[in-house]
Amino acid sequence: MTEAARPTWLRRLARNPSVIVGAAVLLVFVLAAFLADAVSTHNPTRLVPGNRLTPPSAQNYLGTDEFGRDVYSLVIHGSRVSLLVGVTTMLLTSLGGVAVGLVAGYNRRLDTIVMRLMDGLMAFPAILLAIALMAARGPGVWNVIMALSIVYMPRTAILIRSTVLSIRELDYIQAARALGRRDLAIAVRHILPNCVGPLLVQGSFIFAYAILAEAILGFLGVGVPPYVPSWGNVIASGKNVIREAFWVSLFPGAALTLAGLSLNLLGDGLRDVLDPRLRVQ
Amino acid sequence: MAGPFVFRRALVAFVVVALVTAASALAAETPRKGGILRIGNLGEPPALDPHWTTASITETLTNHIYEGLYSLDREKKPIPMLAEGHTVSRDGLTYTFKLRQGITFHNGKEMTSEDVVASLSRWGKQSIYGKALFAQVADFKAVDKYTVEMKLKEKSAIVLVSLAVPNNFGAIYPKEIAEKFPPQVKVTEYIGTGPYKLAEWKPDQYIRMVRFAEYKSRNEKPNGYGGGKTAYVDEIRWVPVPEVATRVAQVETGELDFADDLNLDAFDRLKRNPAVRPIVSKPYYWLVAVFNKKEGLMTNQKLRQAWQAALDIEPIMKNVAGGKTEFYRMDSSLAPVEITTWHTKIQGLPWNERNTEKAKRLLQEAGYKKEPVRFLATQEYKWMYDFALLTKQQLEDVGFNIDLQVVDWATLVKRRNNPKEYDAFTTGMGAFYDPTHHIYLTASWPGWTTDEDIARVQAELARETDHKKRVALWEKQTRQFYEKVPVIRYGDLFGLRAARHTVKDFDEGNERIRFFNVWLEK
Amino acid sequence: MAPYLLRRVLAVIPVMAVVVTIVFLLIHLIPGDPVSVMLGPDATPAQIQGTRQALGLDRPLYEQLLAFYARVLRGDLGHSYFLDRPVTRALAERAEPTIVLMLSALLVAVVIGVPSGIVAAAHRGSPWDRGLMLVSLLGVCVPGFWLSLNFIYFFAVRLRWLPAAGYASVLTDPVGALTYMVLPAVSLGFNQSALIARISRSCMLEVLQQDYIRTARAKGLSPRVVTYVHGFRNALVPVVAVIGITTAILIGGAVVTEIVFNIPGLGRLIISAILRRDYPVVQGVVLVTAAAYVFINLVVDVLYAFIDPRIRYD
Repeated sequence: MTEAARPTWLRRLARNPSVIVGAAVLLVFVLAAFLADAVSTHNPTRLVPGNRLTPPSAQNYLGTDEFGRDVYSLVIHGSRVSLLVGVTTMLLTSLGGVAVGLVAGYNRRLDTIVMRLMDGLMAFPAILLAIALMAARGPGVWNVIMALSIVYMPRTAILIRSTVLSIRELDYIQAARALGRRDLAIAVRHILPNCVGPLLVQGSFIFAYAILAEAILGFLGVGVPPYVPSWGNVIASGKNVIREAFWVSLFPGAALTLAGLSLNLLGDGLRDVLDPRLRVQ
Repeated sequence: MAGPFVFRRALVAFVVVALVTAASALAAETPRKGGILRIGNLGEPPALDPHWTTASITETLTNHIYEGLYSLDREKKPIPMLAEGHTVSRDGLTYTFKLRQGITFHNGKEMTSEDVVASLSRWGKQSIYGKALFAQVADFKAVDKYTVEMKLKEKSAIVLVSLAVPNNFGAIYPKEIAEKFPPQVKVTEYIGTGPYKLAEWKPDQYIRMVRFAEYKSRNEKPNGYGGGKTAYVDEIRWVPVPEVATRVAQVETGELDFADDLNLDAFDRLKRNPAVRPIVSKPYYWLVAVFNKKEGLMTNQKLRQAWQAALDIEPIMKNVAGGKTEFYRMDSSLAPVEITTWHTKIQGLPWNERNTEKAKRLLQEAGYKKEPVRFLATQEYKWMYDFALLTKQQLEDVGFNIDLQVVDWATLVKRRNNPKEYDAFTTGMGAFYDPTHHIYLTASWPGWTTDEDIARVQAELARETDHKKRVALWEKQTRQFYEKVPVIRYGDLFGLRAARHTVKDFDEGNERIRFFNVWLEK
Repeated sequence: MAPYLLRRVLAVIPVMAVVVTIVFLLIHLIPGDPVSVMLGPDATPAQIQGTRQALGLDRPLYEQLLAFYARVLRGDLGHSYFLDRPVTRALAERAEPTIVLMLSALLVAVVIGVPSGIVAAAHRGSPWDRGLMLVSLLGVCVPGFWLSLNFIYFFAVRLRWLPAAGYASVLTDPVGALTYMVLPAVSLGFNQSALIARISRSCMLEVLQQDYIRTARAKGLSPRVVTYVHGFRNALVPVVAVIGITTAILIGGAVVTEIVFNIPGLGRLIISAILRRDYPVVQGVVLVTAAAYVFINLVVDVLYAFIDPRIRYD
């Protein structure tokens, strides 16, 4: 079933305007992240005290921040942290969510326990849980990733579980079971491929959430260490000078919004194409 | 030819004098009573018990509710507050304090010697200044209803100043309260003798203080933290506004009459606002990096000297001060200029040396091999993070390897007590009113300055009562400081606060805000 | 329906137990010490040790946890280290601002979200649809705190239309409460309206495809009546569910909004409690917000069952 569907997916994806625009913008950020050293004009971590809060100019395209660092270079390098946090959180939540969701969807006895635990985690407002975890672990990129993965994982797990539940009763799975296939094999061969669509859609939204959450944690002072160039840190440092030097928070804020926009467009497009239940003809 | 000239000069002088007189007559409007004064500050106090905590927000708030036997004048010298005066026995070992009569607490009870004895005994067990003083006290008792007597074990120079410090201070509570709450347990019944009494405390919303109608003011004019106090406004409402951008906006819009601890970048904007007067608060803090001298890398004096030699302090201070020269001062004295008695003017100290060669040489002599130096800082006080980050770059340029760890304040104050967890931490040193109050020179405070020479001079300073000799000892201590480098002294940083023009007669000379004698024009 | 409700309520208990334990352990594993914060920067280790003993913080962790469970069962959430009052009282004082903020933000979100979703669906594919969906997408992506800061500068400081920050109780000063609440409610609600708009649109589209709508149209009812009366009523069901989810998300969003606008609610309480390590307060707030989340979900489930008779309580 999936084999046959694939070419149509691709074709439909390539024709979906949301996907095209979203992917194109995202590509720009990915390129910026990979080529950060080449395309940035200054060393983003070098402090130049004498050059504090200068407006955008030919030397500093987007101005400088309160330590005289070049905002343009900070934004370019910041895309590294944001994309790293976003991609890794997406991967970790997908991995964790698939593992937990498969187990819960497949094993009736574990289902109750695991789902209670997930409910317990979901009962925290996400950002509060992330703040508490960050306070416990201290600042650091990997701590941010861990915290956000723990916070967002239950959503993916619940999604996968419901997908599994809806598929496992289908005839061909019953047939495979009747043929004596082991559960694990059935899960990997037949159920997992059906989860790819929802997972991609969910993943793109988690990616967007993670980038935004990183910025919020930075704003609250519990994100990646403040001297690491990240969009959240630059916005946070610009918040007190928003009227004296709007450029410090404006440009990373715009980059953040744009990245979130591209991911949401991508997610919407993917959902239209991949998730037939939500597709409205 | 001289005649007309002299005449013209005299005329000019006359006009100037007349104008100045007229202007000052205009400025000295008659205070009026009434109104609610709304003040925005950083956050919640951990307690309203000044015996119990050194937190500066507690200091500011409680000084409106409570009073001690002594207070500090404009020159930061002790002057009597609840005490009428004192006498010292010829051997210098017995202090007798006469109390003012007819002073009532907020609960209507008269203040007498037994309240003073109970309160100061509690203070002597908990406060850092109280403990330092009571270490020298042999006996403290009431003689009669309005007289108390303090017997010392040895001669002491710090009796009056300890009773006068505004922080962690010897507030007088009613005896019942002082005895009800053991020193380690914070007081939760707030009865003092001050011009304002606590009316309501709604955490994160406001603390309301209302005028204490029976307050009996001293007859002197207001003088620094002491002198006469008049409660003009009906109510002081302290509003905690933790977000600094919001605090600035609210004083600009008039939602607050006064805002403390503002970000220095807002200075120019506040200056342009016709309704607001920005106030530079001095001395605020001198910035300091405190070394762990008990364990780890920085126990090596040469490394500490290398740090001191490498620094170029001015650009650091200027950046921390928001690029504004109004907000920092380059000074090597351990006591700020404002504390005239203890401000030193020693030339040629190895402060702000900017000597890269010397720093590199010292690093080599220390046998330093790029081991990471764990430097704790926090963003909750933005200036601490700012100067730590700038320091890191300067030090790494001469060959240090700085592991800057930015944690929240709660973590920093915990970790700095554990010698295994850090090599240096950031903080600020506020005003200390006596050489023996400089905590970073003591062995009990984090960082642990256990150097014997420093301790010996500290002990002499506590015993010596001759002022000239004390000044000489203090200069000796300052030289020791720059040789042994227990901590790094950066420059003085000033604070920014703002008042609406309707707030009148606010004393800008005080380091911390006080609102008695302040009135509202509305 | 009663057994269904009972089962739903009982299922909550193990969840809450998990929540409480996780939080207790988490907060106690955080490095940092409430006593050092309380006693101020100049306190000595000896002073600190004395106060730790007075607060019982030197006892083993499991003892503190057991004591905590025992107290919670008696309805006692302990005593705040900082605030000089029982945690239950601190919570009660902070509940009103947070509830008012959430309800007004929800109102803003629904007022913006539902109509734009419906209009977008009714004019599917038109520039209206595209425009509204792009704006709602922006709503998801713009960082809320950044929007709030810009709102303050623009509407309060520049234009002076509204106060920059603060709070007045609805009960004592309704007009003041309204002026204080506009900016926070709009900046928090705008973020959430996006989700509601998008779901409303897709639900509406789904309903408009149904046979009975086609029948109604075939009967000659005006398209407007068909869309807005028949369509809307049926699209309401999933929208209610989304509003439930939104309310839960708002609890989290309220944290940042309360900080920026200086609203003395539960969000600010928990942030400051975390920063000062006021353990009893952190535990209390989390317990209460988690309970609120669970309760809201319960209410939504029940509402859902009422609105949509197809749902059975097996």
